[in-house]
Amino acid sequence: MSSTASQALVSVDWLKDNLKNPGLKIIEVDVDPKQYGAGHIPGAIGLDWAEDLQDPVRRDVPCKQQLESLLGSRGVSERDTIILYGDSSNWFAAYAFWVLKYYGHQDVHLLNGGRAKWLADDSLPFTNDVPTYAATTYRAQEPDESLRARVIEVLDVSRTLSAGGQRRFNLVDVRSPDEFSGKVIAPPGMNETAQRAGHIPGATSIPWGTAVNTDGTFKSPEELRSIYFEAKGLSPAADSVAYCRIGERSSHTWFVLKYLLGVKNVKNYDGSWTEYGNLIGVPIAKTV
Amino acid sequence: MKTDHTTRVYDSILDALPNESNPSPLVRLQRLSPSPTFPLWAKLEWLNPFGSVKDRAAAELIADLERQGKLGADQPNRGIVEPTSGNTGLSLAAIAAVKGYSMRAIVPQKVPDEKKALLRLAGAEVDVVTDALCPLPGTEDGSIGLARSYSRAQPDRYAMPNQYENPANVRAHERTTGPEIWKQTGGKVTHVFTSLGTAGTVTGLARFLKAQNPNIKIITVQPTEGHDVPGLRNLSQIGVSKLYDPALIDEILEIPYELAYQRAAELFRREGLRAGPSSGLIFEGARRVAEREQVGFGVMIFCDDVFKYMSTMVKHLPELATDEGGAS
Repeated sequence: MSSTASQALVSVDWLKDNLKNPGLKIIEVDVDPKQYGAGHIPGAIGLDWAEDLQDPVRRDVPCKQQLESLLGSRGVSERDTIILYGDSSNWFAAYAFWVLKYYGHQDVHLLNGGRAKWLADDSLPFTNDVPTYAATTYRAQEPDESLRARVIEVLDVSRTLSAGGQRRFNLVDVRSPDEFSGKVIAPPGMNETAQRAGHIPGATSIPWGTAVNTDGTFKSPEELRSIYFEAKGLSPAADSVAYCRIGERSSHTWFVLKYLLGVKNVKNYDGSWTEYGNLIGVPIAKTV
Repeated sequence: MKTDHTTRVYDSILDALPNESNPSPLVRLQRLSPSPTFPLWAKLEWLNPFGSVKDRAAAELIADLERQGKLGADQPNRGIVEPTSGNTGLSLAAIAAVKGYSMRAIVPQKVPDEKKALLRLAGAEVDVVTDALCPLPGTEDGSIGLARSYSRAQPDRYAMPNQYENPANVRAHERTTGPEIWKQTGGKVTHVFTSLGTAGTVTGLARFLKAQNPNIKIITVQPTEGHDVPGLRNLSQIGVSKLYDPALIDEILEIPYELAYQRAAELFRREGLRAGPSSGLIFEGARRVAEREQVGFGVMIFCDDVFKYMSTMVKHLPELATDEGGAS
């Protein structure tokens, strides 16, 4: 891998030049799975976030064996360099990134700008041929719990923040302003919802899209620092937790905090509002 | 028999498409104009053969692809893919059907069911894309991105007219809508009221009319943010179109979107004009300007009638769905 690709992001130009690298696997994960079917980067494997990247029965990420079986069946090995990309500025690609890191995949990157950036350049190849790769055996690591916040921990963080411990933790709510304020429980038309509206006390509202430009690329580290640390007041050194409604949008902000802003300890609370907003007796903050 | 506009005999439905010699009707409001010295005239685009103002752009977009050799005999397997909130798709699908091209329409979820069914009825394959869950900064995703994906991945099967970027959309109105208004009003027009969607209509007709008389005021009417008036854009959403030219627009009026539905109902009840909600909004803008300026000659582009929007109308005017409902 070149020095640029050794970082968390790769550019469209880098991928264009390295499309045929042996040991490189490109994986597309979309909010709208129709997008992959209509066309994708040549050689890209398509994963469905709802069917492939969730446990089919209980509410959870896939277990270790499920992930091994999924990636092995698609011909991905734990030694591969994985480039993830998707629609909506890599929103669900970032969720896949978080799941892969949770299971210890070393060499995984996001394509900066995602699907839209690639699609916007007519000179880049695009196809609807679905590739087939010989099945492999994928060996995942044990889950890295330092990347995942559970509700007990979130309650502790919230209590500390509510008691004035602003410098010790960052708790970031990445949902839309109306969800944060409690005006709506979820965006219109969503099946997964909660009994109550509002946010976790002590949380800072920074909608996930704050981190991206109109062409789908991430803002520069300088811009991000100015927004997240200066304007929004997060502490660069504090342990951080990001949450949203079901844990996908927050993966995007988890990526921004950990890899683009260099915050050391960042966890994704994938239980998010659909867990918290359904709990009996926990404190809820509302601003409407 | 040959096509003859004077007897309204048409050899093909495509001959009934509007142009200077076969213009869409221009009808004066009899009761709802606020000033006797500022008559308001409605251009009834729903009387175009496929039912809306979009017939004009669709015909020009397809003709443009044919001229470039991207559609036609040399490309026997190639059809059309286009992102559309309904009317462009319907016009494209109908014209494509007459000409023997296939059509795939990429439609946002929020488009009324009537329109999705109509597209299928006209022979289009319809892909419904999920609406954004929360505001997206980009514009390439969703329906435009999906349509682009088809045309990029399978260029042998799909040509994309791209109403949001293709100058043929503007040219359609420069060649037909503008000249029709000039001829129908005998050059008396002082104000044109229209809405913003792709901005093709306003840019095209403004270019033609301002070349005839630079004093003609071009006024666009837009719904307030958060609106659900199908086919329209608030200026904050116009970034999606590359055809928008602010230099041609004299005034932008922002009207509370609920009025679109009330005014549409008044237009039907008091003028016999079966106007859809976007026409209701345009009328409200025209009414305000006529009241303010008192003297003028206004032309309103009434894009579509109400039939495809009944579910949205009922949502905003619930009395339409009750047995007790009636004129209010």
